[in-house]
Amino acid sequence: MANEIWVLAEHQDGKVKGITFELLSGGVEFSKKTGQKVVALLLGSGLEEATKGLLPFADKIYLLDHPLLSPYTSDAYESALLPLLKEHQPSIFLGGATSIGKDLFPRLAMRLETGYAPDCTELSVDEEGRLTVKRPLFGGKVFAEMVFSEARPQMATVRNHTFLIHENLGKSAEVLSIPIQLDPSSMKKKVIQVEKSSGERVDITEADIVVAAGRGIKGPEHFKIIEELANVLNASVGTTRAVVDEGWRDLKDQIGKSGKNISARLYMAFGISGAIHHVLGIGTCKTIVAVDTDPNALIFNYADYGIVGDLFQIVPALTEELKKVLASEG
Amino acid sequence: MEIFVLVKQVPDPEATVKIKTDTELEIENKYFTNFFDEIAIEAALRLKEKFGGKVTVLTADPKRVDALRRGISMGADEAIQISDPALEGSDPFAIARVLAAYLKDRSFDLILAGRQAMDDDSGIVGIALAEALNLPHVHSIIGLEVDISRKEAKVIREVENGKEHLTCPLPALFTCQKGLNTPRIPLVMNVMKAMKAQIKKLDLVSLGIEPSKVGSPSIQAKVIRYLSPPKRPPVKMIKEEFPDNVRTLVRLLREDAKVI
Repeated sequence: MANEIWVLAEHQDGKVKGITFELLSGGVEFSKKTGQKVVALLLGSGLEEATKGLLPFADKIYLLDHPLLSPYTSDAYESALLPLLKEHQPSIFLGGATSIGKDLFPRLAMRLETGYAPDCTELSVDEEGRLTVKRPLFGGKVFAEMVFSEARPQMATVRNHTFLIHENLGKSAEVLSIPIQLDPSSMKKKVIQVEKSSGERVDITEADIVVAAGRGIKGPEHFKIIEELANVLNASVGTTRAVVDEGWRDLKDQIGKSGKNISARLYMAFGISGAIHHVLGIGTCKTIVAVDTDPNALIFNYADYGIVGDLFQIVPALTEELKKVLASEG
Repeated sequence: MEIFVLVKQVPDPEATVKIKTDTELEIENKYFTNFFDEIAIEAALRLKEKFGGKVTVLTADPKRVDALRRGISMGADEAIQISDPALEGSDPFAIARVLAAYLKDRSFDLILAGRQAMDDDSGIVGIALAEALNLPHVHSIIGLEVDISRKEAKVIREVENGKEHLTCPLPALFTCQKGLNTPRIPLVMNVMKAMKAQIKKLDLVSLGIEPSKVGSPSIQAKVIRYLSPPKRPPVKMIKEEFPDNVRTLVRLLREDAKVI
């Protein structure tokens, strides 16, 4: 068949994640070239709300509703998806480069003996539906352009903010419930608890805007001014390895080689010198702002806008200025 | 406990990587044991110290054995290198098939690996190996406790905006993330000893693998060319005095970059 573009939908508390809308928007762009149908794969339990959210973004929704599919485990998702993938042989299967996508796709690709490219930052198709992707290697020092063999599906996980979300795709998806049988005894892993981080901020890999401070912040207590700036911008707060190693911030907020790669629309770095470990994690951010007291700081080589200055002076002033400007807009 | 740890020597993050031809890279000869693999070795050694048993470090890198020596110097009992010219150009799935061929007839309680290798950053080998061996896996763990009598592990895995606590029966495969532990620094004496330690070498014939199952013929997603990272435009330094520079920045972010 190989005439469908599949997207693995991710959702939390009934809300579909941004990455899924991005992938579906990208899929719909592809389908204009290939004439293929775009299908969202929605797995979980109690999916009414998520289904509604997906309706305008796909031609079809394959609904796999089963108590064992919530919360996510690779065991259950794999058991549910493999027969479906074998039956339909979609042309393309995309997922987020997320804790689900990067966990699940290697297993599926291994079993199906098909091609899989992880962590892609650029994707395109030709008229025949052949996928070409780009992905960073060596933490982003080099990119690889990759193509797929004749095996289907062509599988890729994609970083946040690789595609723009199109709100008006003009779609109204047909919803197809897929009957599934899962054997509880073959579900080996069990999620016993999901511990949510405190606070309202989204993960730095998902955030549109990330503001971060490095060792220039001088102590964990001073992150307050960064948090206040983040509040005004509805941003998430990131940091560097040095700060995490000092124990000032949690590991989950670390940007860079041993932490997370971010692809934010706007990244602002305060008191960050720009060690290679750090800048490798910000290479695919759209706009980068750097503020540091050292005019020779390496971070300026990677920034779009730079200010040589003291973050303790700049950050509060920036917060006030943004408050003013954004308020005047209503 | 019988534990295998998958290890690899990878270019240091400081090493320069240049594009030599469309499909060939020139990598500065500055290698270290993959950061996440050392965390996996450390986790294995701690389990051995608690429950007894044996830790074996395993690589499918035909060129470099330094990661194996690192493992030995930290305290691993045995080192195995799967080395064959046919492995050249293999993708992570082929490496997983090779490792599976070696491990499928062995008895073990646990396989540990790094979250990803700091070269291709794929994060595929460990998970694909678990699939090939029909083992459960947990990716990117930051907590690990083993209940030996129940043959079960309690693990914590990092996810967006939080942590998942899972139970997983053994044998299983876990990939290790920063935060799980701080790897020990081996004593100089042990580093010296590790230099002389015997490394067991295996080729593909002894594992019963067809050469067509590895190397470039087996690749389903292949690199057609390497590219430099997209060039960033030169930085625009805002040189006005405070607080004018802050106002200018906000204006540029709104009117020029249009990001807020």
